[in-house]
Formats: sequence, structure tokens, C-alpha cells
Amino acid sequence: MILLFAIIYALIISLSNSLFCLVIESLLPVIILINCPGNLKSLVKLNALNLFMIMTLALTWPNFREGVIMGLIITWRLNLIYIIFAGVIAKLGFTGIYAALVRFHVPEKLRILLLLTMRGIFIMNNRLDSALIALKLRAPEMKFMTRLKTFGYITGNILLQSESRSEKMLQAIKCRGGFEGFNQL
Amino acid sequence: MHISEGILSGGVLIAGWAGTLAGVSVGLKKTNPDKIVKVALLSSAFFLASLVNVKIGPSSTHLSLLAPMGLILGWAAFPAIVVALLLQAVLFHFGGLLVLGVNAFIMGISAVSVYLLFGEKIRGTGSKIYSFIAGALAVMIAALLVGLSLGLTDGNFLTAAKLIILVHLPLSLIEGLATMFIISWLKRVSPEFLS
Repeated sequence: MILLFAIIYALIISLSNSLFCLVIESLLPVIILINCPGNLKSLVKLNALNLFMIMTLALTWPNFREGVIMGLIITWRLNLIYIIFAGVIAKLGFTGIYAALVRFHVPEKLRILLLLTMRGIFIMNNRLDSALIALKLRAPEMKFMTRLKTFGYITGNILLQSESRSEKMLQAIKCRGGFEGFNQL
Repeated sequence: MHISEGILSGGVLIAGWAGTLAGVSVGLKKTNPDKIVKVALLSSAFFLASLVNVKIGPSSTHLSLLAPMGLILGWAAFPAIVVALLLQAVLFHFGGLLVLGVNAFIMGISAVSVYLLFGEKIRGTGSKIYSFIAGALAVMIAALLVGLSLGLTDGNFLTAAKLIILVHLPLSLIEGLATMFIISWLKRVSPEFLS
């Protein structure tokens, strides 16, 4: 329910063009931000990235002043939507989001894919990190083409490793009763 | 490549979600349940590889790896991209949840397009050239679709859209080279992987 409300609220913010509406719609995000001040840090990072977007819009818009205003409105909307979703994600946690996906009738295959991808990221991250550290130690400086070629080879190697790992994982899942277990989450 | 929240119009957002839903349903239908684990681990490998910084002169970039995803996963690239973008939105705040539909459609359709165009060709002779073209083309299709989404939202975005397409031209060459190296390595080390 809370996720559905957040989506509808974010959609309303996303489609608002007038400043008056945006001010009214800011009330809820401000309350969320007061209750979760931890989000402020990531908001600063988000807006630092957004400065580039405002500058691009200002320089490419037919009128410089209008471009800046448009950039600021988009930034405002972006901040409000970010606060809403960050609040919801913090409130629900991963299991809550998964339960919401079940209630939204998201296909089982997609849900399993999401869970296994998250698990896969943790598994493969260690392998990729080791490969990158080894590369740094063996060749700290490389020409551009060599660097790109090495990146390609490391990626290819990680793909092969993940394929062989997936075979073992599938066998393990089958031994534990197949994909039925995922429905009990 | 990600479009941020709060930029696109309602119509574009709805169209993007509709396209993504269609792509995901085809992708899931074509994915055998036993292949889900393989798709998940391959997409996590792509996710991690796309976060690696590749230095270019004084700057650095992240490669999107759309073409290798499409060429290796086929239609399954669509749901894999949706999951990857969802995780990026939740974990790193790239893109967003509302624009997920549009971003996923842009990247998914680029990956699937190169699979349909070059999926068979990279298995035969001249795979290096085909994989290079596939890598560059996937990025350019994605950049064109980003530009189109912005242009359809507001006519005033057109100059910014043209700039985005222009910026992606050198990036497409780099992606083309990276795709070529990945595919040629896979073909040399494990030819059955691509079959």
C-alpha cells in the first residue's frame, strides 16, 4: 500500500509544472526528510551531479533564464521524488519490497531473477575485485587500447566463471526442492 | 545514459513502461526456468563489469555493455536489464523508479536489436567486425532513443538531445572495441559459450 501511495505521489510530482503545486507537494517530503535526516548526505551528492544537467539545459534552452528555471524545477522534482522513494525503501526494507512485488503480481520468474542477481552480485564482486587488484599490481600503467583489451578479457573471464557457478547453483537449488522455496520468502 | 526523474512527460513515461512490459514478457516467455540462474549470474557479472572505471586520457567512463548483454542473453537481456536498472536505482540512485520503464526500454531494445541483427553473425567468420559494429550500434540506438524521449517531452529539449547523441559518438566507438574484445576472447576460450 505504502509503495503504491509513493508511486502515485511521485507521479503527481513528476507531472507538476507550476511552482505553487510543487510547494504544496513538498510538504510530505519535508516531513520525511525531518524524520530521516540521513538522506541529506545523498541529496547533496545527487544535486552535485544535477548541476551539470542545469548547466546543459541553461546553455541549450532557447532562452538562458528559462533554461535555468526549467533546470531548477526538474531538480526540485527530482529531490522530492528521491526523498519519497528513499523514505519508502528505508521503511519497507528488502523483504517489504519483495512482498510488494508479490502483491503487484510481478511474475515469479522476474522476482527470482531479482533475488538471484542480488546474490550473484555479492558472489561475483569478490572475483572481479581480485582480478582488478591483480591487474593493478601487475600493470599499473597501460596504453588505452591495452587497458580496453584487458577490460574485455577480464569481463569475458568473469562471464565464464559466472556461467560455471550458475550450473552449480542450479544443482543446489534443485537439490533443495527447486524454485518453490522462493515463494516462502 | 540514464534519464533522471522529473524530466519526462506523462505520455513518454507511460509509453516507456508499456514497451518495457512487452519486452519483459517476451523475454521471460523465451527464458527456460532452468536458465534463470544462468541469466541472473550473467546479468550480475554485467552489472559489476559496467561499474568498473575505464580510464580514457585524463577522464574515465563506465561502459554500458549493452551489446554483449544482448548478444549473450538474447531476449533474456530485457528482464536482466530491468533488474539491473532497478538495483542501480535503489542502491546508487542512478535513474529512478518512475523513469525505470523508459530507461529499461531504451537499453533493452538496444540490446535486443543488436542480438536480432548480429546474434548469428558473431558466431561465424568476421565476428570481430560484427561485434564491433554491434557494440557501437547499441550505444547509438540508446542515445537516439534518449534524444527522442527528451524531444517528445518538450521541443525545447531538442538541442540538449542533439548534444547527448553527439557526446555518445566517441563512447560508441569505445563500446564497440570493448564488445569486440569480449566476444573475441569468449570465442577463443570457450566457443560453446556463445552457441
